[in-house]
Amino acid sequence: MNQLSDFTDGVFLIDFEFRPENGREGNTPEPVCLVVKDFLSGVTSRYWKDDIHSRSSAPFSVGRAALCVAYFASAEMDCFLKLGWQLPENVLDLYVEFRRLTNGTTPPNGAGLLGALLYFGLPTIAAQHKDAMRDLTLRGGPWSEQEQIGLLDYCETDVVALELLLPAMLPTLDLPRALMRGRYMKAVSHMHTTGTPIDTQMQLEIATYWEQIQDALIEEIDASYGVFEGRTFKTKNWADYLQKEGIAWPRLATGRLELTDDTFKQMARIHPKVAPIRELRSALSEMRLSNITVGDDGRNRCLLSPFASKTGRNQPSNSKFIFGPSVWLRGLIKPSEGYCLVYIDYSQQEFGIAAALSGDEKMMEAYQSGDPYLAFAIQAGAVPQGATKQSHKAEREQFKACVLAVQYGMGEISLAQRINQPVARARQLLNLHRQTYRTFWAWSDATQDEAILNGKLWTTFGWEIRVSGQVNARSLRNFPMQGNGAEMLRIACIFLTEAGIRVCAPVHDALLIELPLDGLEEGLAKAQALMRQASSAVLGDFELGSDAKIVCYPDRYMDERGQVMWDTVMSLIQKIKGQ
Amino acid sequence: MTQNTPPFSSLRLTQNFGETLGVKKVLTTVPVGRPSKDRFFRTHTSESWVFPTWILENKATGETYLVSAEVASALDDQVRAVELYAAIDRQNNPFLIPIPLPGPNGVRNRWHESLAQAVEKAKSVWIRISANKDLGGYDIFEATAKLPGPVWPDITMDELLEVAFKGRVITSLDHPIVQERLGGI
Repeated sequence: MNQLSDFTDGVFLIDFEFRPENGREGNTPEPVCLVVKDFLSGVTSRYWKDDIHSRSSAPFSVGRAALCVAYFASAEMDCFLKLGWQLPENVLDLYVEFRRLTNGTTPPNGAGLLGALLYFGLPTIAAQHKDAMRDLTLRGGPWSEQEQIGLLDYCETDVVALELLLPAMLPTLDLPRALMRGRYMKAVSHMHTTGTPIDTQMQLEIATYWEQIQDALIEEIDASYGVFEGRTFKTKNWADYLQKEGIAWPRLATGRLELTDDTFKQMARIHPKVAPIRELRSALSEMRLSNITVGDDGRNRCLLSPFASKTGRNQPSNSKFIFGPSVWLRGLIKPSEGYCLVYIDYSQQEFGIAAALSGDEKMMEAYQSGDPYLAFAIQAGAVPQGATKQSHKAEREQFKACVLAVQYGMGEISLAQRINQPVARARQLLNLHRQTYRTFWAWSDATQDEAILNGKLWTTFGWEIRVSGQVNARSLRNFPMQGNGAEMLRIACIFLTEAGIRVCAPVHDALLIELPLDGLEEGLAKAQALMRQASSAVLGDFELGSDAKIVCYPDRYMDERGQVMWDTVMSLIQKIKGQ
Repeated sequence: MTQNTPPFSSLRLTQNFGETLGVKKVLTTVPVGRPSKDRFFRTHTSESWVFPTWILENKATGETYLVSAEVASALDDQVRAVELYAAIDRQNNPFLIPIPLPGPNGVRNRWHESLAQAVEKAKSVWIRISANKDLGGYDIFEATAKLPGPVWPDITMDELLEVAFKGRVITSLDHPIVQERLGGI
């Protein structure tokens, strides 16, 4: 399928209007109306709510010889799944393709449908009218006859917009790969529909006592620091504390203290005594429990915002997505009775991608050893052959930090801080990386040259980034790892959802899936095999392994980084309840 | 995978960035001299990467000049007959190590002799050298780790010499440096 004329059963431009079921964010959609236009014949069909809900399948061909075109297609696919309709075989999402076309640049009017139309100099409807119609949909029924016509007319304007946009974008499309991305949008809908099970009772309990918990946390932790006044972190008090303790703290160019969470994180490694205050700040600032959107069925659902980041990764709302806020809140994730949740993440994904795509045989060998950090130390000659994680723990930690530093584009000073060693040691480690993995570094240099000389980079399946203006060499060098990591996870989502595995959510380079307790092992083996296949698709037959963390009912999911905070909050709740 | 979709492998694009651009590192500096005491290095194993010549050292500026036979005979003991050995450090930076040839009696001083031994040793292992004034020679420290071999730049010895002595080749007695050494103006 390389051109529109290949779709002999039709090219259908579609748009749904919908609202969350019962008007509650976190619920699956309630389709209100649908407009379909056959791009080739020009015939438009309009369907109101009752009509679409009474159908068992879409009112147009969704088979292999038909193409379904939409703008932000996961929303349309969400409606398909809600209605129990078979998803279209071929989906072309013009939003995704517009993002690809403009990725790395700033389209003057954004990446929405109006922005895309304006980008191509096409006529648009007024944004105000769009907002009014969206509000009318969200208001919920019943809708008067006039309102129904108004909504259908509005829905049709989006289809007319697609009719204008498709020919304008056609010369820019790489159709076979665009259909692959469309296939991912179907997977996104499956994930939207599945959602992540939440312990809503506990969520309510934490929310109920949150103010008292905050005060108790501050009282308990801040007692040794004296930096909070009420619930406010006072910079001056922090400066006084640092002076008293003799801690040299990073400062901004203006001379003010650097107070980002990242700085606290780094400094907590060097001065462990500042770690509790960092935890407290993080807990207080990121705690937006009520914003996490949970549906009537107790599942967290939010727009996963596929392809929103430059690397093509999803960018769900930090406050609505359960994996967005502070890690301790992930303790709210709890499998339903009879089910297990499995968090599967690729093992050292970035290292593996860098090894395979650069063709650095030593790096590939290190990845395949199962412990690339130790293998690197052995290859660099820093530890003897036969060294183990136990026999050379300290060296392994340093070489691990070095590998991560290279991935993050850290310099010798940051690495030295991270490993709490002199800068000379950090410099030596970074040099050893360059000396050991020469092929990788030559490829990394070439990646930067390509980006600067040719103005763009691309992933194995054609997600592109354009380079102009001020260049960030570090992120350009890292793009192949991040962009292809995103490709890998997208393909994994496609494989798993198409195999009928319930994927709750993608989390950076990991997936949270839901499996019945009965048949857990087979389900997990199948999921991990599909993830290996996905890595091989991206890396040209080089497979990446994955690690799985299983939580079965009645246990709850827990990120180890948040365990202490979770336990503290739980004990505070007990204490408050006992008062 | 659904039936009508092509296998992913058929859609895979290569990541051979820079391959068509032909960007390569240009060698612009090749130092001449003994490596510092903290610099591990290797020397080339091939005889063709050793160049016998005369050099003139300007201690004040730290510059080393390549001198033709005709000029060398005029400058007499101000020039040194040396062999230039191609060497490379762990950061892939090539350089040249001059080793004075034995005197008319066929004997080298102890410093030069130990430097020659170090250069020979560096053909097979990574070493660094450090002056030992008590002994009157260089101590050789061999890297105990199993390190990968050197990666030499894709150029010839002549090209290496050209970069090392760019603007510093003396072929005529009229050269200002020669005139200065001969007491001319």
